[in-house]
Amino acid sequence: MLPDDIDQIDATVRAVLRDVLGLSQERVDAFRSETPLFGALPELDSMAVAGLLTELEERLGVLIEDDEVDGEMLETFGALVRFASGKAVG
Amino acid sequence: MTPSTYRWSGGSEAMLRFGPTTGPVVIAAMPLFEEANRTRSFIVAILRALAERGIGSALPDLPGTGDSLTETEHATLSNWQEAFSGCAMTLGRDRIHAFGVRGGTLLDATAAIASRYHFAPIDGNAVVRDLLRTRLAAAKEDGVPADAGTIAPPGPPITLAGNRISRQLLADLTVAAPSTVGPCRIARLDSDGRPGDVKFPGAPLWRRAEPGNDPALAVLIADDIAASIATCAA
Repeated sequence: MLPDDIDQIDATVRAVLRDVLGLSQERVDAFRSETPLFGALPELDSMAVAGLLTELEERLGVLIEDDEVDGEMLETFGALVRFASGKAVG
Repeated sequence: MTPSTYRWSGGSEAMLRFGPTTGPVVIAAMPLFEEANRTRSFIVAILRALAERGIGSALPDLPGTGDSLTETEHATLSNWQEAFSGCAMTLGRDRIHAFGVRGGTLLDATAAIASRYHFAPIDGNAVVRDLLRTRLAAAKEDGVPADAGTIAPPGPPITLAGNRISRQLLADLTVAAPSTVGPCRIARLDSDGRPGDVKFPGAPLWRRAEPGNDPALAVLIADDIAASIATCAA
């Protein structure tokens, strides 16, 4: 994968978190790879996870199966970007 | 904003009227289920902006939604489409234009209308997928297993994201797609990669847990609807 693609996916994941959870741009800009998500962001409950996954699907043009969704992919921002990158090239 | 009623083949329902009572009129179809609550004030903002541009509109309650006396579990896709058609007939104008948002774009298929304006349209399968995913996510949180395979008719209504929904409605939605017959303009958000005639900056309000609004986007869409109606009239 080209670095441009990774930047693009990183930006898309940030934008989806901003839009679905109603976070400010400053807040999502400050996310680092190790920033914890699920359990650390009160906005990210199970209903929001559903919206987050669907929005990622729509913006990246991928299909996420429900059995692929586990706690690990939502643990940190970096894990979510890695998951999204894996889907986008897969 | 004036409360009113319209008749359809299955009874009568309430609708809100905005703007002038002569000239072209827009009938708005809100997104389905929970997304309707999240976008109601946004859609009303668009209809008010249309009124300022001299275009009247109607926002009907469909059977089983809003203030309807019909239980949600008795709603069907064909009921909704017939009710939308009934609303158009009640208005009885020459130039009726449909304005649908998200799953609301599935409702104007059978109505006698001059044009369609679809914002962020999705097919019915995506609506159902979203509902099921919400249930799976909630079940995961509660530790209760949920089986997405058990939604086919026959059987009792299923509770999904706070609504009791008939299996027939889910089955009908699964194969439904927005109609593109006649003059049809498709608008989407910039972030949406799917094709559209026009793209607007903004966030998908239908994803937000708290109902929100986007007055700037509402004005952009109202301007675009007004322009497309003017094109139709020309």
